[in-house]
Amino acid sequence: MLLCVRQVKSLSAPGPACYNHIRRYPILNSANSHIIEVDDLRKSYGDLKAVDGVSFAVRRGEVFGILGPNGAGKTTTVEILEGMRAPDSGRAAVNGIDVGEDPRGVKAVIGVQLQASHFFANLKLTEILDVLASLYHCAVDPIDLLRRVELEDKKGSYFEKLSGGQRQRFSIAAALVNSPLALFLDEPTTGLDPQSRRHMWELIRGFKQDGTTILLTTHYMEEAEVLCDRVAIMDNGRIIALEHPDALIDGLLAKGFRKERTERQATLEDVFLDLTGRALREE
Amino acid sequence: MKTSPVWVLTIATIKMWFRDRAAVFWSLLMPIIIMAIFGVINFGSYGSVEVGVVDLAGNQASGQLVEGLDDAEVLDVFTDGSLDAQRQALLDGDRHVVLIIPAGFGVTPPPFELRTLYNEARTREVEVAHTVIQEMMNAATFQVMEITPLFTLDTEPITDRDFSYIDYLLPGIVAMSIMQMGLFSVAFGFVQAKRLGILRRLFATPVRPANVLFAEVVTRLIVSAIQTLLLIGVAVLFFDAEVVGNMAAILAVAVVGGAVFLTMGFGIAGWAKNENVAAPLANVIAMPMMFLSGIFFTRDFLPDVLRTITDYLPLTYLADGLRNISTDGAALTSQGGNLLGLAVWLLISFALAARLFRWE
Repeated sequence: MLLCVRQVKSLSAPGPACYNHIRRYPILNSANSHIIEVDDLRKSYGDLKAVDGVSFAVRRGEVFGILGPNGAGKTTTVEILEGMRAPDSGRAAVNGIDVGEDPRGVKAVIGVQLQASHFFANLKLTEILDVLASLYHCAVDPIDLLRRVELEDKKGSYFEKLSGGQRQRFSIAAALVNSPLALFLDEPTTGLDPQSRRHMWELIRGFKQDGTTILLTTHYMEEAEVLCDRVAIMDNGRIIALEHPDALIDGLLAKGFRKERTERQATLEDVFLDLTGRALREE
Repeated sequence: MKTSPVWVLTIATIKMWFRDRAAVFWSLLMPIIIMAIFGVINFGSYGSVEVGVVDLAGNQASGQLVEGLDDAEVLDVFTDGSLDAQRQALLDGDRHVVLIIPAGFGVTPPPFELRTLYNEARTREVEVAHTVIQEMMNAATFQVMEITPLFTLDTEPITDRDFSYIDYLLPGIVAMSIMQMGLFSVAFGFVQAKRLGILRRLFATPVRPANVLFAEVVTRLIVSAIQTLLLIGVAVLFFDAEVVGNMAAILAVAVVGGAVFLTMGFGIAGWAKNENVAAPLANVIAMPMMFLSGIFFTRDFLPDVLRTITDYLPLTYLADGLRNISTDGAALTSQGGNLLGLAVWLLISFALAARLFRWE
């Protein structure tokens, strides 16, 4: 199964280095604008129902957020979609490819950033990207990928030598080696300082402008508000709300909710960024 | 084929392995250091036989006897000290044999009764000493009786050099290194990749697990082959070792042995959650074999029961196979028994590894 054809000449030109195989677009009619479809997904670990009947669909080009406290089932849901974990029941499909039937087919068309990912020790960043690309039968320009996540000057470094923010950005670059149709980002800003977090937001906005579909999990509400077209809020393995962030807020206000102390025009984070600047703090 | 995932992965894995200084040190240099230490100390050679002489006669005849013993190359003769002092030295392990020459030796009418005290634990040295003493007394008897011996024995060595300890040690060290490579390199390296989530990230791509395993196994087999050649090269160049057998046959046995221990290593690595579990387990398997499979010393001195049990150890099959080829020049085809033993262990290990292996 050859999903991308190497095309070395296109390396100098911007854009994907892999051809989109016909398999990548099995559904071309506009009747189905959903690239990710999830129907009644269930997964239990012993007595714990980690995912308990989850259904949703993500449109092409959408940034879709899954929010929820720790242990709500966000990561399990995403891992099932990524073909990393088999569900007990239910169906999940990416670009019309059923994850249960053809996990490798799904893996071939998506880009994945795992929580706390780690990459090969003793390989330079450019070498890691080359190896990963080869696993998709793709050829990439690693320097170009690193430039897109502002790590060009780290091209000769090893992954272990990177700071937390740099690691997260590199794992984004690694998720792009196959020019994916959909990006899965699992808590992409957890543990980052405000500067790095904002930088990551800019990156994600850029992917969105390029038309990439993004499914991200987070437990930062501000992040969801800034980035997501729609959010699903999960708790105890179920989706308890699914809407545009503003619509969710309006709904709450309509119920008569008022904050005890009205929000001021700036937050402490704004003060922090005003004092320390927005530049990235990584050597 | 350059961009086929399995080859890209294999080349990357080899590259990573050789960039890992700790791995290179433990796998390539450590065995050479161990071989050098054992080679220099030369544990295998028997030192000279130490004979204490208590000369109660103190005359010309006894003097001649002592002189004769002293001339024998294999004996170190100590004439100082009383009977009690020599007996104490024997008890302390400083003498193998104490020879007591009675008063009136060579003067009173024959036969003269010589007595020896000996260290029961050192049968080999004691036997040598007794043989030499007996030989001298026979010669003296013939001379005094003016008898021409009926038989003489003319010995002539036909090998061009002695079989030395390093020749014995070398295949053992090669076998040990192959075992260490299989068990420890996998138990540490692979378990670490698993724990850090490197493998998880890899399986977020469409790569086939078999390709990852292939890259890991091929890398380590290549390293084992390099290790074997390096050890043999160093032993031949610097320690005057001699390899009689065919190098290709040695490498073939090395690769089969490598496959056995790699499979065991993957069984451990697949089952263990982290290095703290994997390392002790690898040690429990490796340590007893290091001492019971005839790596440093021959298994001849083991009690019968233990020797029979250790006949069936995988490291015994590997070390024996390598040693037969390396020191006796045996052909690969004559090593069917050892290869069969390794094959059985490969099947056992594979069945266990397949049951125990988990990617996460």
